[in-house]
Amino acid sequence: MKIEIIDEDEFNIRFILYDAPIAFANSFRRAMKSLVPVMAVDYIDVYLNSSYLFDEILAHRIGLIPIKTDLSRFNMQNECVCGGEGCPSCQISFRLNVEGPKVVYSGDFVSDDEEIKPVYDNIPIVELFKGQQLMIEAVARLGIGKEHSKFQPVSICAYKIVPEIKIKENCNDCKACVEACPRNVLDSKDSKDGKIIVKDVLNCSLCMECVKVCEEIAIEITETNNYLFTVEGIGQLPIKEVMTKALEILKSKAEEMNKLIEEIV
Amino acid sequence: MEGEQEREGRPHTGDQMFPVRCFTCGAVIAHKWEEYQDKINSGKSPKEALDELGIKRYCCRRMFLTYKSIIKELSRLQGAVG
Ligand code: SF4
Ligand code: SF4
Ligand SMILES: [Zn+2]
Ligand SMILES: [Zn+2]
Repeated sequence: MKIEIIDEDEFNIRFILYDAPIAFANSFRRAMKSLVPVMAVDYIDVYLNSSYLFDEILAHRIGLIPIKTDLSRFNMQNECVCGGEGCPSCQISFRLNVEGPKVVYSGDFVSDDEEIKPVYDNIPIVELFKGQQLMIEAVARLGIGKEHSKFQPVSICAYKIVPEIKIKENCNDCKACVEACPRNVLDSKDSKDGKIIVKDVLNCSLCMECVKVCEEIAIEITETNNYLFTVEGIGQLPIKEVMTKALEILKSKAEEMNKLIEEIV
Repeated sequence: MEGEQEREGRPHTGDQMFPVRCFTCGAVIAHKWEEYQDKINSGKSPKEALDELGIKRYCCRRMFLTYKSIIKELSRLQGAVG
């Protein structure tokens, strides 16, 4: 198994996972989406809310704000020394004390900690009109995507099989497959002798249109054990940290499974 | 409209309830809403604005295209500011 990164920027990454069973590719995807812990506001104390929105709607909006997370400093609440009651090493609170007329943004929250703060400062939460006031304490903790989607570190996390496209000897260069391909995978312009070449195999969706139109049965598409992953992070954690953390979690789960099996046999 | 008042800075557009995240894919979109609004107000088409903001998927694009403010309606129903 090997990972090759194709392109990446701050929030997006595309990589190929080589020679892996498809079950592994899928569990990797699921681990990234639902097992890597990140911070999100889990409950708010409302001391004063005279805005037009109900407390519950405010809580819901505040919960969805992504919060920068430092996994080395915080524990999951159920594994924490405090036994789940809440302490500085498993939760963090944000205070909001604003008066209208004003638009309240995620950046208006005052955090207990410089580094743990909303990823974006300009998410509008509510508009306050003259005389309206908001006094809120929001408490964030670590959680996993399985529990609630606000704890998901990635928004898009998908993979597809990278196929192997073979053009055989009996191809008569009729170019019907080039016409038929909806994703411009095949082309003949770039080759010297007018032969069909595979231009962009990563774009292929395995729709098999090219195979259907080929009268000579000269094109063959086979599935490989390589997978193209497309992952888009939300910003709580760097995307590469999400990947390594997901693999660590999978490893610890597999070891736990091994132990259980050894106990039985 | 009763209850609706001027706010400092930007003119009141009653747009402060834009969903924080896309309903379908969960990507954060609200931080781009005001920029989108500014682009629309400067005469750009929604398509141009969304392309410039880098909103690629159609689930997220429809969030911008189909959004209707309700805080304005709420302010009308509640009358005087409490
Ligand atoms: S399977 Fe579909 S996408 Fe892939 S090369 Fe053939 S026509 Fe194009
Ligand atoms: S349709 Fe078949 S015969 Fe025609 S160019 Fe494509 S592979 Fe060759
Ligand atoms: Zn604790
Ligand atoms: Zn979306």
